[in-house]
Amino acid sequence: MINFNIAQWRAWAPGLESADDWHAWCQAPVLLPESEAAPDVSFLPAIQRRRLSRLARMAFSVGWPLAEGLQDLPLVFISRHGETPRTLDILSDLAHEQPLSPTQFSLSVHNAVIGLWSILRNETSEMTALAAAGDGLEHGLLEAAALLQEGAPAVLLVITEEQPPAAYTSWIHDVPFPYALGLLLTPGDEWQLELTTGTVQATQTQWPHALNLLRALLTDQGACQHAWKNRVWNWQRKP
Amino acid sequence: MSDKQRLEHDIKTLIIEALGLEDIGADDIPSDQILFGEGLGLDSVDALELGLAIQKKYGIKIDADAKDTRNHFTNVASLAAFVTARQAA
Repeated sequence: MINFNIAQWRAWAPGLESADDWHAWCQAPVLLPESEAAPDVSFLPAIQRRRLSRLARMAFSVGWPLAEGLQDLPLVFISRHGETPRTLDILSDLAHEQPLSPTQFSLSVHNAVIGLWSILRNETSEMTALAAAGDGLEHGLLEAAALLQEGAPAVLLVITEEQPPAAYTSWIHDVPFPYALGLLLTPGDEWQLELTTGTVQATQTQWPHALNLLRALLTDQGACQHAWKNRVWNWQRKP
Repeated sequence: MSDKQRLEHDIKTLIIEALGLEDIGADDIPSDQILFGEGLGLDSVDALELGLAIQKKYGIKIDADAKDTRNHFTNVASLAAFVTARQAA
């Protein structure tokens, strides 16, 4: 069992930008219409933001305000599927025997976002990029808790998923719409996360774990349970 | 517009499109402006991307290791001269 505080949060999905938008969505969650909208990252100079994919823009838009004024802030970046549009572009070029775009190639790796984060923020703290199946949020939280345990005063956790291109829709079922959630985690015992194992079939959650957690955070629900394979994660806010 | 001016304008448009320079237009890039480092401020990934775009659009081969390649990529005017020379060859 691990304990921590969620000091601040930020989230983004097409059409859901402000805290009020998210409070409303969490009270009555609905599927969002397909959208090409991307978050505003005009706090970055144009020459630096031009190469950022929507996934990277989502990560920056939720992470940047949380990191405001904090130095030496470790980052745990989580995405199960990563830059699927770039991957498809690169594979398509290969299939058509076209030369690969150096820009696409250099930004397709899973740690590209944290590399850009490090460069643009001049941040040299420990950073991790995780892809951990359906319960990446929880594995990322474990990583963040370990960093807090080691003495970090705060850890930034960013989890984001991009809408996969149509070619992948038969295989990717856990991204109802593009989204990003950023959590500023600090030491404390307001929240606890406990892992149990077993064959218990937990209630199927309709929304990605990150958004389900946000619902627990923003409503009086105060707890949630996420199951993946034989792992059952219990999130609980101190009553 | 002369052939040279037209080619330089095309190369400026190519630079903007291939490198995602969303906030500027072709007229914002003087033909003698340094492209890399100072001037327009492009970097080494841009150099590779632009080299690829030029090869695709003009059907010419660029040897990345050749000594004079760096000079050809100094500015739009030198790139246009390079493309013209290669296409004539």
